[in-house]
Amino acid sequence: MADRPPLSGTTHAIPQPAGSTRTRPPAGAPGSPPAGDQGEGRRAGRRSLRRRERLAAAAFLLPAAAYMVLFFGYPVVKNFLMSFQKYSTSTFYTGEAPWVGLGNYRSVVHSSVFSKAMLNTALFTVGSIVGQFVIGLSLALFFRRRFPLSGVLRSLLLLPWLIPLIVSGAVWRWILDKDNGALNRFLAGVHLAPGHPGWLVTTSLALVAVILVNIWLGIPFNATILYGGLQDIPEELYEAASLDGATGWKAFRYVTWPLLRPVVSVVLVLGVVYTIKVLDIILGLTNGGPAHATETIATQSYHLSFQQFDFGQGAALGNILIAISLLFSVVYLRANRRAVDE
Amino acid sequence: MTRSRRTRVAVASALALPLALAACGGSSGGGTQPTAGGSSAAGGATTTLRVLDYYNNDPGKTVWQKALEGCAAQAGAKISREAVPGASLIPKVLQQASSRTLPDLLMLDNPDLQQIAATGALIPLDQFGITGDGFAKGVVDASTYKGKLYGLQPSTNTIALIYNKDILDKAGVKPPTTWDELKATAKQLTKGGTYGFAVSAPANYEGTWQFLPFMWTNGGDEKDINTPQVAQAVQLWVDLMKDGSLSKSALNWTQADVNDQFKAGKAAMMINGPWQFPVLDAAKGLNYGVAQIPAPKAGEKVVAPLGGETWTVPQTKDKDKQALAAKVVQCLNSDESQLNLAKQNDTIPTKTALLASFSSTNPHIKAFADQIPTARARTGELGADWPKAATKIYTAFQAALTGQTSAADAVKQAQNG
Amino acid sequence: MTTTLLTAPAATVRRRRRTQRSWGSTALAVLFLAVMLFPVYWMVNVSLQRSGSAVATPWFPEHVSFHGYSTALHQQGRNLVTSLLVASGSVVFSLLLAAPAAYALAHFRVRFSNVFLFAILLSQMIPGIVVANALYTAYNDLGLLNSVPGLILADSTAGIPFAILIIRAFMGGIPRSVIEAARVDGAGHLRAFVSIVLPMSRNALITAALFTFLFAWADFLFALTLTTTESVRPVTLGLYSYIGTYVNDWSSVMATAVLASVPAIVLLVIAQKYVAAGTTGGAVK
Repeated sequence: MADRPPLSGTTHAIPQPAGSTRTRPPAGAPGSPPAGDQGEGRRAGRRSLRRRERLAAAAFLLPAAAYMVLFFGYPVVKNFLMSFQKYSTSTFYTGEAPWVGLGNYRSVVHSSVFSKAMLNTALFTVGSIVGQFVIGLSLALFFRRRFPLSGVLRSLLLLPWLIPLIVSGAVWRWILDKDNGALNRFLAGVHLAPGHPGWLVTTSLALVAVILVNIWLGIPFNATILYGGLQDIPEELYEAASLDGATGWKAFRYVTWPLLRPVVSVVLVLGVVYTIKVLDIILGLTNGGPAHATETIATQSYHLSFQQFDFGQGAALGNILIAISLLFSVVYLRANRRAVDE
Repeated sequence: MTRSRRTRVAVASALALPLALAACGGSSGGGTQPTAGGSSAAGGATTTLRVLDYYNNDPGKTVWQKALEGCAAQAGAKISREAVPGASLIPKVLQQASSRTLPDLLMLDNPDLQQIAATGALIPLDQFGITGDGFAKGVVDASTYKGKLYGLQPSTNTIALIYNKDILDKAGVKPPTTWDELKATAKQLTKGGTYGFAVSAPANYEGTWQFLPFMWTNGGDEKDINTPQVAQAVQLWVDLMKDGSLSKSALNWTQADVNDQFKAGKAAMMINGPWQFPVLDAAKGLNYGVAQIPAPKAGEKVVAPLGGETWTVPQTKDKDKQALAAKVVQCLNSDESQLNLAKQNDTIPTKTALLASFSSTNPHIKAFADQIPTARARTGELGADWPKAATKIYTAFQAALTGQTSAADAVKQAQNG
Repeated sequence: MTTTLLTAPAATVRRRRRTQRSWGSTALAVLFLAVMLFPVYWMVNVSLQRSGSAVATPWFPEHVSFHGYSTALHQQGRNLVTSLLVASGSVVFSLLLAAPAAYALAHFRVRFSNVFLFAILLSQMIPGIVVANALYTAYNDLGLLNSVPGLILADSTAGIPFAILIIRAFMGGIPRSVIEAARVDGAGHLRAFVSIVLPMSRNALITAALFTFLFAWADFLFALTLTTTESVRPVTLGLYSYIGTYVNDWSSVMATAVLASVPAIVLLVIAQKYVAAGTTGGAVK
């Protein structure tokens, strides 16, 4: 990688983000020289150098690795084991949680809300991600042009994130209220929807409303990260491209998009991973209702664990969610790798 | 939980429920106690009892603090109290159960008692010579698990029909007493931006709590909700919504939201509890009255659900402290304390002998108090299985209210899971 | 990759572009923000009402009242300080761990780096409640409940993996040759990291810091699980207890929320300035 000329290298040299199993070409793993410039060194020197490199790398990684093991390893293993056990409130006092094998998984998959929750999870995730990403990217591109007050306005964009979710949830419920909500008052005022649609209380609209609020929440994240990515694309590339006649859409297509790709991957992969487990905003707005219209795997898992105190089933559903997340990431990263390589 | 406490802010409850799942290994021994336990009775110093409850806001917070301090002083102890938000009480209790750090004195919402008692974390009160004699039957039922009394509830509450006197007077109608009257009156009172009727009907236990008086009074039962009686009760709500007398927003309202609507004059009648009195009293120009919940037919006895919190003594290492805690429970339940707590918290005493004199002191509380002797505990019949039934109930009325199925199909589908 | 390419003409071109699209863009941005920030406005609106209520709140606070603010300041002042301490602490701690790790992942060829990245991704899929549950017991044994350091450590569960991913994605863009050049000059790994890599990654660091701060600031779950007293209580939890049972004084709740956002807004604006400076400066990147 390092042998490539800087410019053409950029596409590849900006490594894949999240869990990209593919940052480095597989061929390069064992035996390839640690760094291009050093490649000429003698064998022995190379080996000791490699050992030193490895030690240095370990030293850099160690603190974070230790933290990850302590703060994630244990909970995950525990949760995994729990999904094979019969948990009840008594378990907390007696410590007895009989082993039930796949029983919890069978129960949750066969439950009547499971398929509905799966569909809702898919719609919610896809809807939220598409909305957040498209708007976020447009904003990032927009703010890339510098104009008066752009910095301040850009910071203000992050405001929705600063409001505690308890409060923004309550505010959105008022705004979306059927009878007195600001949105319906406005829509009726401009004669757009005089019928006062029940955003949160109609089965056909509730999911849409929840997705819209989640998009609202996600825009700051997307816009900021993508803006950061755009900042790292050198201006000269656009100049070079414009000499070749690539401006506007073409410049975006051939310069911006390829160079932004790694950051896009971070945003999309993390976005999906975060969105798929979203719980608080749905519970705050509709609590999964009306009539399961906004029930997702995450809310269902929560209800099982914390309302019915069936922690085994809750954990099983949670693990199904993690598995879906994982599957998506692996498939996406693999596909993306292929696309980049081509 | 009766009041909106548990479900009040769903966002919070979403996040609010952490548990010490990890410590389920069992005997993690005494562990370090999060709150200083104070010296044990062995020393000469005053014993400090650790108390856990969910009255974390004034005025309730202070009222309970004073009551607890007073009773502890009588027993010769001090208290160190932790008041957590309502939604996080049970998770906290489970955490403490698994890490063996349960408090000496624990308040539970009454429908939760049996579930906690079933874990073995509570001490039966007969060990301390405490009985439920003289208490309303429903109240004792809720605090009883497998024939043993595990808690005592100094005060209770329930829901009733609260109506805007001015609006009803202007229309020249009386508060409805039957379902037919309710539908007619609600329809008549619905005009402009005002709905005739408001009730909280969300997809959670709060919604179930609101639905119970209609279901129970009509002869429905939580053991099997696939019955015409339950379907009829569902149909009543559906009719009210179809008529336009009940806003569709009810599907997402909390009890506090309903109260807001009523207070602002957007609802002429509502189903709600006496804990709303302070807010209603503070609203300028609001003239309200309270009536019993309408029954299916004239003269039928209303069966309302019992709310309120029960006080328990958890299993801890220290026998002396347990005895002291039991004394505090007893003291909180003395006649004087019951009346005092009920008065200050706008709730109702649980000893039947106190009801008559108490309700005469406050005309607003009378309709509530009148329902107490026949009121039912949610867990009276199913005990620890109540949450499953409660889920079926709200699933049923939500399905029907959103127009997905008929009332009959809704109860059938919900019952069959 | 770009250091060598950044030339004078580029800067002038950029300057020209800047002046062209001037106030039109500003107007467009303001319009968009107006829609985007409407809920925030609504919050402020309610906080200034005499008795904020969900029902038919007027579009504007006709009779401005500050009683919500005085209540909020009085009751939540200390919680605000706690939140600031925890969030800032989490930023420092997260970056301290994440930046070296990100560097190692971006620029060393180590076999376990893929495993490590995969673990990070996996960690992001775990529901927060699962982590919080496990931490409670551990904290109880270690005496970390009700402590600011305990919250900092816990809140970093969001910050550290995220910061590693973000910083690494950006650091990969630093040409290896630049680092190698420094090493040839005799700098050790640590020195190359501190004096070359970190300054060049300023954008990434600030972005990561920003989000780490926001993650910690918005945390409610750990605050609720890992604190039991009022002595250490982040403002999110303060608000929650405040909303409590009989909320009918929404004005005070919203006023607290407004106050709670102010310190964070100030930090944001400052941070954004740095991001902008970092990119227009031209020296870096």
